[in-house]
Amino acid sequence: MAKEKTEKFEDKMKELETIINELETGEIDLDSSIEKYMRAMKLVEECDAKLKSIEEQVNQIVKEDGTLEEFHYEEEE
Amino acid sequence: MNPNTSKYLTVTAINRYLKDQFDRNEHLRMVFLKGEISNFKDHTTGHLYFSLKDENSKINAIMFSRNAAKLKFKPADGTKVLVVGRIGIYEATGSYQIYVEEMQEDGVGNLYIAFEQLKEKLSKEGLFDPKHKKALPRYPTRIGIVTAPTGAAIRDILSTIKRRFPMCETILFPSLVQGEYAAPDIVRNIKRAASYPIDLLIVGRGGGSIEDLWAFNEEIVARAIYESEIPIISAVGHEIDFTIADFVADHRAPTPTGAAEMAVPNVVDLLKYTHQLQIRLSEAMTKKIKYQALTLESIKNSFVIKSPMILFDNKRQGLDLLHTKLVEKMNDYVEKKRGLLEQYQKHYLLKNPKLLYEPMILTLQGHVSTLHKAMQKQIELRKVSMVHDIQKLELVNPLGVLKRGYTVTYQGDRVVKGIQDIEDQKPLQIHFYDGLVEATVWKKEVK
Repeated sequence: MAKEKTEKFEDKMKELETIINELETGEIDLDSSIEKYMRAMKLVEECDAKLKSIEEQVNQIVKEDGTLEEFHYEEEE
Repeated sequence: MNPNTSKYLTVTAINRYLKDQFDRNEHLRMVFLKGEISNFKDHTTGHLYFSLKDENSKINAIMFSRNAAKLKFKPADGTKVLVVGRIGIYEATGSYQIYVEEMQEDGVGNLYIAFEQLKEKLSKEGLFDPKHKKALPRYPTRIGIVTAPTGAAIRDILSTIKRRFPMCETILFPSLVQGEYAAPDIVRNIKRAASYPIDLLIVGRGGGSIEDLWAFNEEIVARAIYESEIPIISAVGHEIDFTIADFVADHRAPTPTGAAEMAVPNVVDLLKYTHQLQIRLSEAMTKKIKYQALTLESIKNSFVIKSPMILFDNKRQGLDLLHTKLVEKMNDYVEKKRGLLEQYQKHYLLKNPKLLYEPMILTLQGHVSTLHKAMQKQIELRKVSMVHDIQKLELVNPLGVLKRGYTVTYQGDRVVKGIQDIEDQKPLQIHFYDGLVEATVWKKEVK
């Protein structure tokens, strides 16, 4: 089984959207805005990098005994 | 003999007339018919020509290619079918026929009934209720797939995910999807999926006949889908096929490819989206800083900062106000008291103080007169008793005795009552009623 990523893509996106909404409503003071801005920029970069990374797709199949092994499918020509 | 030919109709005219009569009859516009196919001919144009017959009768039928293309089975002589179509006349041959629009195998009719009954039952139980539908994760990390390990369905799903959102992992739960063992195997795999770390499950197969898809119309499959904690997208067959699984699943995709598209976002769209987020982020921050700068500027320019004395002025004004108020209040107070004083001054008792002591004077006068009267009475009484006393005194007055010739003799202050009282050598004063005589003792003779 693939190792669990430290932070899910979905969580990062959610945090990013939350921060942007907070910044847009303008309810937070300047110091924490800057802090949040830095955090959000980092999240954007990470998400972008993740989206752009050319990873081999991980496809697995469950065997009868419940263990997983890699699964290859015949790609259409 | 030359008959009047004008009475005679042409063949065309009668056929046209009859065709018109058929077309006008609304009962013939939509006819449901069941029968057995015979004389089946598959024309190169794609139109199907055949007859429908039962034990006693026969009707010609034609199915145009546009309708024939939708057939889910291959018709042949002897196939029992249910057809829907209109009945009309083909003018050229003068034969009437049914123009078939829909056709299905008669044997599967029982399946449709079963389908409708189960659908009704589960619907009443609330298995299709939208409130039970779970939302799909926006960016699934790992997707489970219950379908056959070979064939177009799994290939379509995996290639679509790879194309759109390659970071998403998949776990295939290979399952039978056709035949009598398919339904329990699908159920087993849906239940198995619960113990794997997946955030979404696609359950489905490619298209096929209603019998092929039947596992997805089984009650046990419907219930397994309903009970799954993991959100499920159903993807059974082609777009037109609806199964019970589609109704009960959280989301229904028309095809396996559609399910994959529904399950994962497109990385291209996402990159656009993150770019948008970045812009929003920068704009929000710029706006924030600008706003803060403006606020600072306006503070610096504010009247108070520029002329701090204004704060003092305000306070001073306040003080003045308070002072004025104080004076006013004091005046009010004094006025009030003065008013009260005036009221007192005007009081009738002050104006007529006599009223206060007059009754007392009267009482006093009363007392005085009573006292006076009492005194008078006392005086009168005393007067009367004194007259008595005087009269008594008159009786014993020695002067009265003197008048009768007696005298009183004093030696010094003492009255001489006998000769033994007389001291020798000392003069005696002998009182008469009309004067006195001083005498000297010459001789004493005791009796």
